[in-house]
Amino acid sequence: MEFSLLAAAAIATGAFWLMLRWEAKRGNAAGCALNLWDAGLTAAIGGVFVGRLFSMLSAGINPLTDPGQILLVRSGVSTVGATVGAFAVFAFLGRRELVTSADAIAPSALAALAGWHAGCLATSGCLGTETTLAWGMTLEGSSITRHPVEVYAAIGLALAAAGIALWKQHGRPPASAPFGLALAAAAGVRLATEPMRISLDGGPTVFYAVGLALGLAIAVLAMVRARS
Amino acid sequence: MHYPRWLIGLAFVAMTLSACSSEPTGPLPPAPTEIGRATYDTAIASGSPAVVNVWASWCLPCRSEAPLIAVGSTRHPDVTFIGLNVKDSPGDAQEFMARYLDDADMVHFADSSGRIPIDLGAGPGVPVTFFYAADGSLAATHRGIIDEPTLARFLDEIDR
Repeated sequence: MEFSLLAAAAIATGAFWLMLRWEAKRGNAAGCALNLWDAGLTAAIGGVFVGRLFSMLSAGINPLTDPGQILLVRSGVSTVGATVGAFAVFAFLGRRELVTSADAIAPSALAALAGWHAGCLATSGCLGTETTLAWGMTLEGSSITRHPVEVYAAIGLALAAAGIALWKQHGRPPASAPFGLALAAAAGVRLATEPMRISLDGGPTVFYAVGLALGLAIAVLAMVRARS
Repeated sequence: MHYPRWLIGLAFVAMTLSACSSEPTGPLPPAPTEIGRATYDTAIASGSPAVVNVWASWCLPCRSEAPLIAVGSTRHPDVTFIGLNVKDSPGDAQEFMARYLDDADMVHFADSSGRIPIDLGAGPGVPVTFFYAADGSLAATHRGIIDEPTLARFLDEIDR
């Protein structure tokens, strides 16, 4: 594995840890028996593993005949696979109090995602489509100015993480609303930044749109139920 | 000794999937032509942007990135995709091309000494990917496995 990816993973882990600590000091997950740090890291590792398997299978590489390639995460991790894998692992670990656990970890998970996207500064993978905006950045040796699209995503996710954490502390949101809003924020940020990304096949925009709609539905339903 | 049912089921699925490996069928592609630096420079100076992917059949990361290179070659028909097979045997190279680069729209050359990428400043490791602008100038060098966003971004730089 390349060191730049490890650096990005370290930034994500650091952001996750900082947000967990910040929230824990303010009474987050007081009644939650699940160790959020362990569960979050296990879900992340499970997500990367499943995402890598998805990516290999979609490229026509059989993980059973080429098992060594599972370790080569640099060559691709499917976002859809990673999301499904991480959710499945977390749902299993927190199955006894799923809603409480999901609400408790939601801002920290968003902070970790923000850290992962900010890790583009270590992997030199921040840039997207061309722009004339003043804060555009250029590749080394290039004259083309580009959107720092991963930095946009990192800022959006960090703001969402902070907003939901503050809402939990001061607004007393109904159960499952923080999780729903975090899901909507994660999917919404990816959906909004997707047009600025450069890719060979286009990103899974339908998946992000479904995630955004599902997250909003969960949050709105929770709030409607709480009012009635 | 009794094994749990789920373990037997998992073993069955694993055996079934392992039988689905994509063994090359049909005739193998021709072996890459051995070239020197002069022929390499001529191939690059064809008037269109070019991507040179340095690979070897014994290189595990090369297998991993080969499907991505193949996709890139079909998505950017205006870019000349060249495979440079280094320090390899013709038979192994043919098998690799049949298995991992069958769908790629690219031409392959061989540099059995591995000198060309070293002379270009990339060092002896593989994989390496060179990106050339239409005027033949070297726009970027990527050492190690290339991921999809990086390949797409460098292609966007040279293919305009």
